[in-house]
Amino acid sequence: MAASEADMLLIAQIREGDMRAWQVLIERYEGRLLAFVDSRLHDRATSEDVVQETFIGFLTSLPNFDDRRDLEAYLFSIAAHKLTDQLRRQGRRPIDQFGSDDHGRPLEEVAGPARAASSIARSSERRDAEERLLTEALGQIIQDWQAKGDFARLRCLELLIVKGWANKDVAAHLGLTEQAVASYKFQTISRLKEMARRAGMSLGGLD
Amino acid sequence: MADPAPPVIDDETLRAYLAESLSGAEMARVERALRGSASLRQRLEDVRQDRPESAIHTLGAIWRRARLSCPAREDLGSYLIEALDPDHHDYITFHVEVVECPFCRANLDDLRGQFAADAPTSQTRQRRYFQSSRHLLSGDDD
Repeated sequence: MAASEADMLLIAQIREGDMRAWQVLIERYEGRLLAFVDSRLHDRATSEDVVQETFIGFLTSLPNFDDRRDLEAYLFSIAAHKLTDQLRRQGRRPIDQFGSDDHGRPLEEVAGPARAASSIARSSERRDAEERLLTEALGQIIQDWQAKGDFARLRCLELLIVKGWANKDVAAHLGLTEQAVASYKFQTISRLKEMARRAGMSLGGLD
Repeated sequence: MADPAPPVIDDETLRAYLAESLSGAEMARVERALRGSASLRQRLEDVRQDRPESAIHTLGAIWRRARLSCPAREDLGSYLIEALDPDHHDYITFHVEVVECPFCRANLDDLRGQFAADAPTSQTRQRRYFQSSRHLLSGDDD
């Protein structure tokens, strides 16, 4: 998902200190954020506190926010980190407590030395370029399937790639032959590689 | 039909765990595995620190992060009032119930709540969020 023009305008107004725009953003997004947080916490009052922290976190990180980024996805990512903090405080995430002083927050929200260290640790330009390419190429392929109403293929690849199911499980769930699943997978990977090749990149690791 | 065997907990799963983008059941499964495995906890730390050996981006991670197949919110609204064509409707059911996308689930829950509108309660919440954050707006001199 890419940033919508309406959201980009809203962000520009908020950057200028427009309170009405900030109110609109809150009205637009608080319901879905609350539903997301409460689906984990099952405690309405605490969930509202986490959403409040999310909005404060958003304004704190606004100077570093990339306007081209999808706003909803960004708000969900902040909410996820605030939620993790809350689960830690409640002792419900004991394993996830060591090592990090920035709690893995979105890069924009981490100030000072922690950010610099993260930036350095963040991998090479090549990795970023590959990721951009893959996001664009895979996004294009998925849009094509959606436009053609080819939901069978979309379901198949979503189970293989996002859920990590084995071919035989995908075949059984969707009522396809394993050969059909393997064929969908092969065609998709081939198309991705071809798109990468045209962009002057090699994606050998996709086999 | 029985559910398939749970997939191996790889770096991509751990990254999704850290981002709270797994379903509730998957989050619990990863948590249990972490409690029982020191090596998996080390992998989690590597993923968190984004160390090069764990920084290989996978298609699954990219798909999840960019939410490449998530329906638009307008489509989720049409889904709730059954205004989509049947194939599209069935796909959204699949995306929400089988893929268990937590963000689309949240959107649907929110939209259902809006249809059942409890306006005074949501306005009270919204006022509270606004009042607690307005001092951070750059142009607010109050």
